[in-house]
Formats: sequence, C-alpha cells, structure tokens
Amino acid sequence: MEAFVAAVESSAINAWVHNWAWTWPIMEIIHFMGLSLLLGSLLVIDLRLAGFIRRVNIVATHKLLPWVFIGFGLNLVTGFLFVMGDPARYTANIGFWWKMFLVLIAGLNALWFWFKINPVMMTWDPHADTPAIAKVIAWVSLSSWFGVLLLGRLIPYIGTG
Amino acid sequence: MFEWLEGTAVALWVGESLYGYPFMLACHAVGLAIVVGLFVMRDLRLIGFFEGISYESLDSLRKFAWTGFVINAISGCFLFTSQATMFVSNTAFLLKISMIFLAAICGAIIQNKMRDEAATWDSSGVVAGSVKSLAMLSIALWMGAIIAGRLTAYV
Repeated sequence: MEAFVAAVESSAINAWVHNWAWTWPIMEIIHFMGLSLLLGSLLVIDLRLAGFIRRVNIVATHKLLPWVFIGFGLNLVTGFLFVMGDPARYTANIGFWWKMFLVLIAGLNALWFWFKINPVMMTWDPHADTPAIAKVIAWVSLSSWFGVLLLGRLIPYIGTG
Repeated sequence: MFEWLEGTAVALWVGESLYGYPFMLACHAVGLAIVVGLFVMRDLRLIGFFEGISYESLDSLRKFAWTGFVINAISGCFLFTSQATMFVSNTAFLLKISMIFLAAICGAIIQNKMRDEAATWDSSGVVAGSVKSLAMLSIALWMGAIIAGRLTAYV
C-alpha cells in the first residue's frame, strides 16, 4: 500500500488535483450533486420495488435508471479524483474501505435486479404489490446506498487503521 | 444573542462531544439526499423526463421529500448552534439558507398546482409552461443550495 500511495502522490493526476485550490471544493460540490441524483432516483425505484408508493407505475420506473447512472458516474469520477488527490488519507481510513465494500454489495445487488427483475418487470401489474424477491432487492439497495452515504460523510471522523 | 446560543448546553454537546457533530452531520447528509433527490426527480418529471410516470402519482413522493426537509431543518439547527457566530457572518451560509427558503416556497407552489391540475396534465399530456419554469427554478435553487452549503466550509 505504501508503494501505491507513493506512486499516486508523484503522479500527474495528483498534481492536477492540487494545482488549483478550488479543484477540491468543486469536486465535493459535484459529489454532493451526484449523490442527490443517485439516491433520489434510487429512492423512487426502490420504494416502489419495496411495495410502497403504488400510484407510481412500476413498469415506468426504469425510465429513472439513466439518472442512477449519471449520479453514479459523477461520483465515480469525483471519488476517484479524491483518492488520487489524497491517497494516504483514504487508504488508511477504515470508513473508506467499508464504504467501498458497501458500493460493491450495492453493485452486486444491482446485477441481481438486472437479471431477476428487469426482464420480468414489464409483465407486472403497474400498480400492484411486488413479489418478495423485489422487496429484498429494494431493501438491500436502500440500506447499502444509505450506508455508503453515511460512511462517506463520516470518513473525516472515523479512525485511521 | 448568537454568542449566547453558542454557550448553551445543546451547542456544547454538538460542538464538543465526541458524537454530537458527526451524528448531526450524518443526519444532514441523509436528509439532503432525500429532499434534494426527490424534489429534483419530481421537477425532472414535470420538465418532461420519465414519461409513463403519471403526474398525479408524483404526489406520493411529497411526504418522503418533506420528511427529508424536516430532518435537515432539525439537524441544521443543531449544527448551527455550535458555530452560530461564524454562520451568521458567512455569506455562503446566508445564500444557502435563502435558496432553501425559496426552494421550499417554489416546492409548495408546484405542489398546489399539481394538486389542482395534475389530472388534466395526465389526460392532455401537456404540463403548463409556468409549472415547467418553476420546476427548472426549483432544480437551480437546490443545486445552488448544495454549492453554497459546501462553500460555507471554504469561505
């Protein structure tokens, strides 16, 4: 890990992040906007998938998926730049590693949704209750993403190592 | 008055206890994601995205979005107490509060319009131009509040 940190700290991308004092706050702002888009669109999809807000047409909720990806993409890029900008701080922080673990869980859960729910969702009654498997996927999604959000916000307060 | 506030037991708990500040900050992040996320999704629908989700059904997001708003109003008050004198003289913070105030009013107006006209928009497929403008304004205000809010830590 020390070799990784040293390599990143001498990289051009690290220099770019530190070249201008406003780069970091601007990336933070984009990261906050990204999380709002990601969690906002997921809340609608997952609440409906969990069986709530049944007035919302569940078949049409797939129209929100591009906004999930826009939010995730913004945060993937800015998050990558945070790590490139300050590798020692993140790699030594247990909160950061738990956050990455939860992103992985959320990603695997999204794959589960993609293969199990997405192909059959079109045939569902748009305003009816959802099957148990959909509810499980929805709650895993919501709890892992809100866990990601909490761990991310608390990285500055969580111990190193 | 703000100096007095900073000296209260609540402010000291938030500012100096081990868990007070991070706990309130965590609540503030959760509330932010809910209130901004859901209001922006509503606004995007009104602007014309997510065809197939009826305008009437957007009403079911209302109570969740305002729950996020309340979480942040409360956690925000706690966070405010710990550094009250700094916040009241921080331009970015004052801008943030103004934009949230306007976004809430904007949200309430949109809500009233939706209650009266959503069924009509669903049957005609057309949303009133004034409501689309309000939805764009609402997105701009929430994004502005995020920008100003983050900048309170830097200016």
